[in-house]
Formats: sequence, C-alpha cells, structure tokens
Amino acid sequence: MPAECGGTLVAPAEPAALDQVHDLLQALWEDAGDVTLEDRICFETAVTEIAGNIVLHAPDGSPLDFTVEVSVHPDRIEARFRDAGRRAHVDLTTARLPEDLAESGRGLALALAGVDELEYRRDGTINRWRVTRRRTG
Amino acid sequence: MIRVDTYVEDGVAVLKPQGRLTMVTAPALRELVAEMITSGQVKIVVDLSGTEFMDSSGLGALISGLKTARRAGGELRIACLGPQVSTVLRLTNLDRVLRPYESVAEAVGAR
Repeated sequence: MPAECGGTLVAPAEPAALDQVHDLLQALWEDAGDVTLEDRICFETAVTEIAGNIVLHAPDGSPLDFTVEVSVHPDRIEARFRDAGRRAHVDLTTARLPEDLAESGRGLALALAGVDELEYRRDGTINRWRVTRRRTG
Repeated sequence: MIRVDTYVEDGVAVLKPQGRLTMVTAPALRELVAEMITSGQVKIVVDLSGTEFMDSSGLGALISGLKTARRAGGELRIACLGPQVSTVLRLTNLDRVLRPYESVAEAVGAR
C-alpha cells in the first residue's frame, strides 16, 4: 500500500533538533489533512520521545546526524529513525512507568503507551527505530 | 529558550509557559520554579493553556516542582491543559498525582 504523503528530516543529534521534528510533523498533518487529533497527538508524543532518546544517548561525543522519515498511510502513521551513533541499551518488552514522583525514566513507556508498534534494532553500526500507530479514523 | 509569563494571584504564583515544554525547555522551567520556591513563593499554579506540547522531560519538570514545593510546605497545581498535555498525563497515570484544574482561578482557590 503506497504512502499517502510523507517527509524526511536529517538533523544533528542535539536537543534543538526536536523543534525540527515538530515542524516536520506539522507539515505532514497539513499535507495529510484527515488524521484525527488523537492519532496525531499519540504519534507525535511517541516520535518526540524517540527523537529525545536519540539526541540524549546516541552521540558519543563527536557530531552525529540522525534521519527520520515520516509517512501517513491509509491504515497507519509511521516514523523510521536511523543513526550511526552508540547502540541504544533498551528493552522495549520491559519498559515500565517509574514510581509516581520520579522525575525521569518515562520516555519509552510513554512512547509505547501511545502507539501500536515500537521497534528498535541494531543493524551493523546503525540504530533503527520504527514507530507505528494504526489510524483510528 | 522558553517564555514563561508570571504573575501573583491571591498569594499564589502563576506561571504560564508558552510553546513546547520539551527536553529543550524543561530545564528552564524547572529552574524557575526552584528559584520561586527558594525565594519563599511556595504556592504555584502552572497555567498550561499556552503549552501546545509537552514531553516526558516537561512532565519531569512539573514533578520536580511539585516535590520541591511540597518539601517547602507548599503545593504546585496545573491548570488549563490542552489535549496533548492531557493525553501525556493520562498515558503516564499522573493525572492522579498532578490533578488538572479547569481554570487558574479554580487552581488558585482550591484547598
């Protein structure tokens, strides 16, 4: 099934890139037009958490870029990230919310809660993340 | 940087962050709340009507402020949540800990 519309961003793995990710998604919603607010919110929340994880953990001290491709399909919304940074030490099968008053450690659990599929794999020297939310409308 | 409008209403400091509250901007809000509490302003309401997006770092800044305020004998409340911020609170089950108020006036007046 072909993508209805999509976009790609290549950005330095640093916090300011989060704003570029938001701009990419804003443009995607404008192009797609009919994605429900709930789908947009949950997808954007998960994508931001993954971008934040990459920015925080992938760089090893030297400049690093990451790429994210986003696409809207008739049945789903998808984001694919890749970077050549450090391996992410995550276990998505055990990611849980921390205690109520913890000030950090919610990112992956929050991402998982809002989407249908979240996948991470190390492909040689490349980190690959895939975020998928099935469209509800 | 994040713009945070601040004012005092009935002895309660009201903070209104504008834009996105993410890992880019959350540290500044966390610091601002800590400074207010250090200066003796321990009752705080965060008006989120201008916050279009919040991530787990933003949530962490609110939790940090809540804990710091309570340690100082005060309280931090949140009001006027938009749909994305409400969703984040719901997905993390924190709407029990940070109860959302419909309006700043309601949050300021709550006992």
